[in-house]
Amino acid sequence: MKWNIHYRETWLHHTNPSLKLMVLLLLFIGVLFVHNPNVLINFSLGLLLLFMLYTGYPWKFLLLFFLPFFLVFVSTASSMILFGEGKTTWFRWGLIHVTEESFLRGMHLGFRALSFALLGLLFSLTTRPVCLFYSLMQQLKLKPKYAYSFLAGVRLIPMMIEEFQTVRNALKVRGGVNNGLFEKMKRYAIPLLSQSIRRAQRIAVAMEAKRFSDDNERTFYYEIGFGKNDIMLVVVFIVVTAVAYYAGVHYPYIPVEDVR
Amino acid sequence: MKPIASVERLRLKFPGKDTLLFKDLSITFYEGEKVLLLGPSGCGKSTLLQVLSGLIPHSIDVPMKAERVQLPDHWGYVFQDPDSQFCMPFVDEEIAFALENIGVPREQMKERIENLLEAVGLFVDPHTDIHTLSGGMKQRLALASVLALEPDVLFLDEPTAMIDEEGTKEIWQTVKQIARDKTVIIVEHKIDHVLDFVDRIILLNDQGKIIADGQAQTVFSHYKDVIASQGIWYPGVWDEYMAKRQYRRSVVQQEEKMIHLRQFRGYRLRDVKIRVEEATVRAGEWIAITGKNGAGKSTLLHALMKLIRTDGTYELYGEDSKRVKQLHRLLAFVFQNPEFQFVANSVREEIAYSLRLEKRKEAEIAETVERLLRRFHLWEQQNQHPYQLSMGQKRRLSVAASIVSGQRIFLLDEPTFGQDAKNTFALLELLESYREQGATILMVTHDENIVKHFATRRWVIEDGRLVKDEPISQHSPQAAVPSV
Amino acid sequence: MPATTKGLKLVDILTTIVISVVFGIIYKIWGPLYYSVKPLGFHIDQLIYGMWFIAASVAYLLIRKPGVALLAEIAASSGEFIMGSEWGLEVLIYGVVQGLLAEVVFAAFRYKRFDALVVSLGAIGATIGSLVMDFYKGYIEALAPWNLALFLIARFIGAIVISGIFAASLVKALEKTGVAQMLRPASKDDYDALDR
Repeated sequence: MKWNIHYRETWLHHTNPSLKLMVLLLLFIGVLFVHNPNVLINFSLGLLLLFMLYTGYPWKFLLLFFLPFFLVFVSTASSMILFGEGKTTWFRWGLIHVTEESFLRGMHLGFRALSFALLGLLFSLTTRPVCLFYSLMQQLKLKPKYAYSFLAGVRLIPMMIEEFQTVRNALKVRGGVNNGLFEKMKRYAIPLLSQSIRRAQRIAVAMEAKRFSDDNERTFYYEIGFGKNDIMLVVVFIVVTAVAYYAGVHYPYIPVEDVR
Repeated sequence: MKPIASVERLRLKFPGKDTLLFKDLSITFYEGEKVLLLGPSGCGKSTLLQVLSGLIPHSIDVPMKAERVQLPDHWGYVFQDPDSQFCMPFVDEEIAFALENIGVPREQMKERIENLLEAVGLFVDPHTDIHTLSGGMKQRLALASVLALEPDVLFLDEPTAMIDEEGTKEIWQTVKQIARDKTVIIVEHKIDHVLDFVDRIILLNDQGKIIADGQAQTVFSHYKDVIASQGIWYPGVWDEYMAKRQYRRSVVQQEEKMIHLRQFRGYRLRDVKIRVEEATVRAGEWIAITGKNGAGKSTLLHALMKLIRTDGTYELYGEDSKRVKQLHRLLAFVFQNPEFQFVANSVREEIAYSLRLEKRKEAEIAETVERLLRRFHLWEQQNQHPYQLSMGQKRRLSVAASIVSGQRIFLLDEPTFGQDAKNTFALLELLESYREQGATILMVTHDENIVKHFATRRWVIEDGRLVKDEPISQHSPQAAVPSV
Repeated sequence: MPATTKGLKLVDILTTIVISVVFGIIYKIWGPLYYSVKPLGFHIDQLIYGMWFIAASVAYLLIRKPGVALLAEIAASSGEFIMGSEWGLEVLIYGVVQGLLAEVVFAAFRYKRFDALVVSLGAIGATIGSLVMDFYKGYIEALAPWNLALFLIARFIGAIVISGIFAASLVKALEKTGVAQMLRPASKDDYDALDR
């Protein structure tokens, strides 16, 4: 998304987007198999450090981006804490049953959500969609018709948000909608979707009018390859993971190795 | 002369329509010609361009057949809507997209892009966000990326329909510079700047049949009445209209204060986006709000409707606007894109909508709706879906549906934008009839003719500020200037 | 000349992606709504979870071609991701799995039925997809049995109502506007009419 914010480009901005995506997805899947809260806490801290140092955004904005994730942390953790099963009861009130196990599991889930969020931010704050899709075409052989369609879609996001505002204003001017949530959602969706369908059709025709075709031999305005930043990327994440694991196992904060 | 594009006995039908759009249409274009296709909206001019370029049926699936079709080898196509012909976010990337498609080596791209931007007179940093360009600049970018394909034939499909007067002029200037040695086939409704460029005019009727085809000046002067009846903006159309109307403005100078503003400000987030030191609007006034793109004209309307945060004094009928609970019952607001404000599934229900919200009696609703359907010439369409109407009908419907509760203050955001001459005059006359009955109109417009012939006052907005508030002299009917 | 390309045509892909981006915006708005009702407990949040499957249903009903349901979910979740989703990378993976399972349901009908029932089943498929992910990610099996049951029922019902029934009625409404017709291929009747 285009935040009109000035940011500094760091080495993370100059890594290969496909590689970065792959590494982060791999870590995402890896985190699913971490059941030791100590390791997870360390790993989250490592990501937090990278987030603060190398996304290149001013502190004020980093905090702003980060705020909603705190809510996710609380909401993810809470239902497991309140309703999860466990043996060592801490608190019981009606249906609410907080146990040591469910509390730890809940906190673990919270940190997991946090690390997913950080992995996402590390990627989206340091990658231009255009570079990502050029890289996906060049390194991962994504078909151009998909890549450019995605780029056209991304380009329309600010326009759609504007239109969303317009529809909201228009409804206000008409006196609002007074028959229920679903009716209201339809009132928003129909103008936005029909406008989008027409626009998509026109863009597709315009692209083909400019001789776009998957069968042509095409050249690329941006040639995206690999460099020493990519080695750095791999090394940094191996180090973060290894340190998190080693410290979590040998110097635990909490004497629990598996929250399941 | 060598033929460069042609069709013979073309038949074409849009899915779901009862009749053929073209029945056995034959036409040939020759190398180097500059041709203008004229005809009423919906007669198939754009469709014909799409057939001649091969976009139908290659990219658009429309049933057609022809005995023979000759497509040009190298062609480029500029479309009407500046916001839906790009797929990339930045100027250089968009032109590069076209270069990539035809396999231009990467090393040559930078230079080619710079040359193309220069050719169309777009002197911006190549890496500029397309979103920040004006409509006229976007269309010149579209021309640049089409020129990247090195076309012999240019198809221009109403390239200025959604562009203001200034942008329109720039676009045609550019076309004239770059297309001297090319074949150019144009569909256009605003022909002021095109007439001196084309050498051949083809006139179609609403049945998709060619009624005239020949040397530009001859066709234009012989068929002026037909062209006028088709709603085309040709030079002198305003003068002829004003003469025909035997215009006399009934002076409705009323004392009733409708709006009073003092130290009025409108905000977006924390920034003041529009401010008015002091202004009073009385019944029967028609205020044209003018100013450059992005000066804050629409923002002023939004502030008056309180769609954004405001402060300062804002009185409606002498009462503090803060005490007015339902502003939309006093102010009618018409947006630029009518579709966004449609809420019902039929024209009739669309007009009835606000009345139903107000829980008016069924008999009263039926009576009011019927009256408006007739007054706004929508009677025949009353059971259609609002989205299925023509551009002019949509616009009229959006006005009818907005003013149905009997509001006497109309806020209109460029209501005639992109409309043909016929629909523009029809809408202006409707608004004028309400004004004569004491309604007040505040209207954002770029059209100096509307300011001159319809407005009673002009507000000029500059950098988010009302800088000029002047009456338009109540001149007598203008002597019709002899037309071209 | 038309319909010689294999797979989806550019216009199908682009339309699917662009409408999915609209849903991406809705998905993004849905996030704060979801976690603001979550602390209320008793899985009220699960009733609205089904919104995150709607792109697949609507795209399938509109474009009616193999692959669009999966593409729609991927595109909508990418849009949500790009706009800064609170769930980060997670939404992408969920999108893929949910879209895939909805697609399986539509494939089981050989892409021949386009009604509320089929998309409701598709929504159930997507729900199963999301549960598979939750099983790995959220230890949902460790919830108290009554609580887990409530959780599952709420999510399934929400999915059927929003991404089944509501999606179908939304597409009906779009068909009335006339824009949906642009997406459907011309019929043989239309071609025959050329010879009359």
